[in-house]
Amino acid sequence: MIQFERFELENGLKVLFHKDITTPMAVVNTLYDVGARDESEEHTGFAHLFEHLMFGGSKNISDFDTQLQMAGGESNAFTSNDITNYYDVLPANNLDTALWLESDRMLSLAFTEKSLEVQRNVVIEEFKQRYLNQPYGDVWLQLRPLAYKEHPYKWATIGKELSHIEQTKMEDVKNFFAKFYNPSNAILCIAGNFELATIKEKVNYWFGAIPKGLKPPRILPKEPIQTEYHELTIERNVPANAFYYAFKMAERKSPEYYITDLLSDYLGSEKSSNLYISLKKEQKLAVEINAYITGSIDEGLFMISGKLNEGITFEAFDDALWKELQKATENELSEKELSRLKIKLRTAKEFQEQGLLNRAMNLSFFELLGDANGVNEEQEIYQQITSKHLIQVAKNLLIKKRCSLLKVKAIANAE
Amino acid sequence: MLNRKNPPSLGELTDISFVTPELVKCTPTLPLYWMKKVPNATSRIDFYFEAGTSVGSNVISVLTSGLLFSGTKDKTSTQIHNELDSLGAYFDVGLGFETAIVTFYALNEQLPAVVKIFFEMIENATFPSTEVEELINDRKQKLQINLEKVSFLAQRKFQSLIFDGTNYNRTINLEDYNSVSREEIVSYFENNYKKGLKKVFLVGDLKEEEVSSIANSISSWAVEKQEKSKLNFQNKVETFHVEKANAVQTAIRIGKTLFDKTHPDYFGFIILNTILGDFFGSRLMKNIREDKGYTYGIGSYLSEIKDSGYFVIGTEVGKEVKEATLTEIRKEIEKLQQELVSEEELNLVRNYLLGQTLKSADGPYALMELFLSVENQNLDLDFFNDFIHKIKSIQAEELRELARKHLDWNSFSIVSAG
Repeated sequence: MIQFERFELENGLKVLFHKDITTPMAVVNTLYDVGARDESEEHTGFAHLFEHLMFGGSKNISDFDTQLQMAGGESNAFTSNDITNYYDVLPANNLDTALWLESDRMLSLAFTEKSLEVQRNVVIEEFKQRYLNQPYGDVWLQLRPLAYKEHPYKWATIGKELSHIEQTKMEDVKNFFAKFYNPSNAILCIAGNFELATIKEKVNYWFGAIPKGLKPPRILPKEPIQTEYHELTIERNVPANAFYYAFKMAERKSPEYYITDLLSDYLGSEKSSNLYISLKKEQKLAVEINAYITGSIDEGLFMISGKLNEGITFEAFDDALWKELQKATENELSEKELSRLKIKLRTAKEFQEQGLLNRAMNLSFFELLGDANGVNEEQEIYQQITSKHLIQVAKNLLIKKRCSLLKVKAIANAE
Repeated sequence: MLNRKNPPSLGELTDISFVTPELVKCTPTLPLYWMKKVPNATSRIDFYFEAGTSVGSNVISVLTSGLLFSGTKDKTSTQIHNELDSLGAYFDVGLGFETAIVTFYALNEQLPAVVKIFFEMIENATFPSTEVEELINDRKQKLQINLEKVSFLAQRKFQSLIFDGTNYNRTINLEDYNSVSREEIVSYFENNYKKGLKKVFLVGDLKEEEVSSIANSISSWAVEKQEKSKLNFQNKVETFHVEKANAVQTAIRIGKTLFDKTHPDYFGFIILNTILGDFFGSRLMKNIREDKGYTYGIGSYLSEIKDSGYFVIGTEVGKEVKEATLTEIRKEIEKLQQELVSEEELNLVRNYLLGQTLKSADGPYALMELFLSVENQNLDLDFFNDFIHKIKSIQAEELRELARKHLDWNSFSIVSAG
């Protein structure tokens, strides 16, 4: 159970406070309700590039990191298709430094042409390091447009292509800031050993005078219901054939989301899971096999991916996989199997919430979904899932015409 | 009145209480260290076996660590995993140069039952040949994939230069897997696991009797203490390029043999290394990422091994800027040897390190990590009070001296892959 308090400033900034008397550290987590899904198709990769620029100096502060390091702290951020999240971890008695820094960059950015130029290059190198210069590194760049036809999930956070990042102009950056970076589009969470009254006073002091701005409306193209099977084969210089089956699944706020998540655990998250046992251990068709979900806020993907054993064809594997998936839509799980899946979730959650930063991030994310207290309710939702729920969801989910398959075919290395 | 121009005033570092775990002796030679005060229901236990890659044949060490969960006379590997999963447990097998570390994570109420499964698993392990074959097959595929990564290729070659002439040189080639026999694995297991447990670390709010029962159950695995002779590490000074066609980035590793925590220069060097490359505001990050945009990240660190250690700078850069990056790295090192670090920069690094030290002691898991890092070298947690003292007192002259003494460009092994 994560205790928290909530209040809102007049400018629309939502604030969460989580008290932990055991820690000498403080966390300041700032979530902006903007991600790659808010980009235009001609300017992809922008939300993430922008995240880099947020460290390049604000109205009154030339260097974000230096000031935080001077206070004994550290900072980082991540961008997903849904959100951009910034966090600072520092000794509790220097909390003001983090609030000063975060409020100043919410107020106004002031980075230079040079910093834009450098961060463009840094992101291009990140693109290469993660997506181009790794075996199988580009599969998500290929898979997203195969699975999504309309929704902006069809491009990856890093962007569709390098040229989009290369072409970013100062003006684009300024417009982006004006649109998405204001108090009414942000959730601030502070965690540490403080009193609520102190937090209210400090947050008001640092953030209270930032102009309200407008919460930008989000009108995204809706992904039509998939009615036919998609398949794409790409050839790469990789050692093994790899498969990526993607099924459209329910959005984050739907009750089915949790059931689908549990179904992915049942099918393929552990060595006791169904696909692992059948396709790897017994039939020896795959060397590696996993099932998982992307966890997106809008309709996400339920994934089954892995690598084929040597000499096994995609067709042979495909036949065997669909037989197993068919079983998941018919066979009921025993109570024992269900409770095995649920206790793993409980352990995972306890460990995750052990860390102060994770607690602050989770509260912020659930507040974005509608209520920070959701973080305390999700275990109960998982615990109530029955075998019937799983079958029902599997029947609607594991359908060939809702599936997109990306095959990576290994070709002889040209070296 | 709201003042945004000047930074808020900073607080002093609050006192850190470095809590030492309790020592439970399983046998006279087998310690179990227990951090018992945990403010939640989580628990973790680590078993350290004398079975790292430098112990015996490294390919056998790798395979044995991968087969610990592969079955017993009564249970298949699937049954074992099923039982562990039914207790909600997660596990991890890590392989270092000296030790293999088996770790379990579970809710504290489940941990005794998890250890019981682990006990039976080790006591009755059979190493079925189908499992051995399957693992070899898996590892070969994994190695083939790794061989496509420039970072792997560079690190592998770099380590072979650092550990030249010792059994820490842990390069495994595909064909090494072809000549493995099951019997070698069984015998390695008998010697290095069933008679190879060196120490155990436990974090969790368990009952006293649960812990003593765990301690009793594993006592027969205790390693017989024998003093090992000190190894002499000396990196091979060489510049080497590993060719990888079609790579768009080049991985770089630069470094040399150094020392561990017991060396008199250790604290000073750690502070010097922080300035050079061990945090986001380091000189290498500021120059090569934040000024030139050559890379997504660059860092340097001191890695410790038994009685020694090595220093390494690592990065992945655009293929066309490899030479420019090497030039800039060298410039940064020479600057540290020629110029004094400014009081402003030194102050920043002092504050940063003090804050990070506070963080590194936050909570039972963090404290156990700290303890682990010193226990290995027969030191105690006072080490960190000494470190804090050094952070506060070190001067620029000493840092320059250390840079001259330990960062001579001509003493480095330099590897690139791309």
